[in-house]
Amino acid sequence: MPVTLRYPFTELEAPPEYRGLPHIDPKLCIGCGACVNACPPDAILRIDDYDRGTRKIVLDIGRCIRCARCEEVCPTGAIRLTNLFEAASPDRRDHIEVVELRLVRCKVCGNYTDFTERQVKKALQILPKEILEEEALEEKVFICRNCRRKGTVDATINATKEVVL
Amino acid sequence: MKYLEELKAKFGERIEEIKQLAHNQWLITVDKDILHEVVVYFLKHPEWKETQLSTMVGTDERPLRGKFSVTYWLSVNGNSDDVYIGIKAYLPADDPRFKSVTPLHKGANWYEREVQDLLGIIPEGHPDPRKLVLPDDWPSCVYPLRKDFHYSDSPQGEKYYPYREPPQGTTVHPIGPYHVALDEPAHFRLYVKGEEIIDCDYRGFYSHRGIEKISESRLTYDQICFIAERICGICGFTHSTAYCQAVEAAGEIEVPERALYIRTIMLELERLHSHLLWIGVACHLTGFDTGFMHAWRLREHVMWLCERLTGNRKTYGINLVGGVRRDFLDYRKEMIEDVLKKLKSEFGKLVDDLTSTKTFIKRCEGVGVLPYKLAHEWSVDGPLGRGSGRDFDVRRDHPYAAYGDLDFKVPVYKEGDVLARALVRIEETWESIWIIEQALDQLPGGDILAEYKEIPPYREAIGTTEAPRGENVHYVMTGPGNTVYRYRARAATYNNLPAVPDMLRGYTIADAPLIIASIDPCYSCTERVQIVDIESGKVRILKEEEFNKLSIKASRRV
Repeated sequence: MPVTLRYPFTELEAPPEYRGLPHIDPKLCIGCGACVNACPPDAILRIDDYDRGTRKIVLDIGRCIRCARCEEVCPTGAIRLTNLFEAASPDRRDHIEVVELRLVRCKVCGNYTDFTERQVKKALQILPKEILEEEALEEKVFICRNCRRKGTVDATINATKEVVL
Repeated sequence: MKYLEELKAKFGERIEEIKQLAHNQWLITVDKDILHEVVVYFLKHPEWKETQLSTMVGTDERPLRGKFSVTYWLSVNGNSDDVYIGIKAYLPADDPRFKSVTPLHKGANWYEREVQDLLGIIPEGHPDPRKLVLPDDWPSCVYPLRKDFHYSDSPQGEKYYPYREPPQGTTVHPIGPYHVALDEPAHFRLYVKGEEIIDCDYRGFYSHRGIEKISESRLTYDQICFIAERICGICGFTHSTAYCQAVEAAGEIEVPERALYIRTIMLELERLHSHLLWIGVACHLTGFDTGFMHAWRLREHVMWLCERLTGNRKTYGINLVGGVRRDFLDYRKEMIEDVLKKLKSEFGKLVDDLTSTKTFIKRCEGVGVLPYKLAHEWSVDGPLGRGSGRDFDVRRDHPYAAYGDLDFKVPVYKEGDVLARALVRIEETWESIWIIEQALDQLPGGDILAEYKEIPPYREAIGTTEAPRGENVHYVMTGPGNTVYRYRARAATYNNLPAVPDMLRGYTIADAPLIIASIDPCYSCTERVQIVDIESGKVRILKEEEFNKLSIKASRRV
């Protein structure tokens, strides 16, 4: 039984189990960066721009080794390995996929925080409804780390003062 | 272990510490002046016939205790105990020297040259202290595996390599660096008189990729599995298994039984396709191209099967520390059975054709003989060792994965020629098919991946597997914060290749490619260590350069 195929003169489809080119679904990506941490060859980068208030998740399939660790760790199933395998292109830029997301702007100081709006939305979604206090959330969630820390410290100091007085 | 008492009696107080690392691994710390004596004592122990120098690790432990260390790892094979012994000595940071073992045991030659290259630890009395691993233009006194060397540095030096002077009355006949037998680089300088090979010099390590340094510098435990798999293009899965076993031993992680069986099946499938590949190459080199085509045709079915089972033809990527990532579902189990059935009938036919082809037999018989004594001296392993009468096999002597539960034979031939190696591989292929059948039958249920929390830092352990080419040994010293402090991978060819000059001597140039190929050399396996190749970032569009820079920056952050 011969095993030689007429590829590339005929179409070739990889089996369903095949780990092919990765692809990020921009609608699902929340920009948490779990894939960035898991990726062995640094094929995915997370680039934050605090002036413009954006986070870019940049995927370079030229560096990708198709290990599918990103697919395993993605909390929303946004990044998937397709079963496509033909990556050849005359332009290197064709290998790069960018997802741009908005960062949360701090309600207190007005600087951009280091998490995205979608991350907050996702976190709110998966938190059990019983422990949510809508009003308290509005105040606490959209604040950057520094302001939140400052707020906690101020509150503690005030509380101590009250106790002392 | 009873032998330790003997050792204590012989060397007394100069043995500083004896420690058990894992159920079959012992670490003996000795004074650096008697290091070579203890190593040779074990290597020539009368009760351990097939003791073998498995690997040697030099470590820059200056950040930990202000000293360098070297550890010789010996595996006790054959019908003796299931034991690995590490013999360790600490060397002072300002003058790291130790007495070379090479004059007493040839097999230590490359290991000692490697620590000299990469760590600047000098083996005193080494008969051939030339450069081994580093490129010709690497400056002297820069040691990449020291902890104060950053992995992305790339110093420039002058190009120089001292080849051996040809013996009197001979001509130099270079083979390589391109395409020596297999499509990988290595340079053999044959010194010939007419057609006859008088002597041979070797220069390799052209496909040096810096895997050890990069693993120690910027990867986490789970990420190393994938780079370990890429050490070799043929037998990558055994490398990642060996690495995982080393970490699992160091971190005392218990792997679920089903994962062990899945690993076993994948390891044997890998051996199947590797041996079929080798049989094909051997046919090709003896001018029997029909055999080559048939062997590779059969191999393709195994490759397709692996693609269905794991998601890729070759780099399976299913190993993680603690188990495997993909389960065998029932429909995939049936696929394995189908392929094995096909293979059994067709491989039988191929072997019949092969052994009844006179040209093949004539080219292989009595060629490239490696006698038992030399095989022992060079510490060769795998089918090369078994073809020369060394009766050992990691799967049998130090059972790992699920091999302890399975039944198989270890073929051994005494002739030591190319034909013996071919026959060993053919028989091993049959055994592999038999092992997969058993493992499939006995495949237990349950989890496939064990979770682990934190691995305590500065623990040492080794993991070994029987790759298609011989013993793979991976040494791991765990480090703080989910990283490895020292990682050392030793592929089978690392022990086998130094013996090639002895096999070539006295044969003709026409036989040289076949003899070299008969050890099934895997150069990229052998040459893994050291510096990351940042050359690839030089040419290309700005976009990519930026990207590389960013990723280097990103990894420094990690």
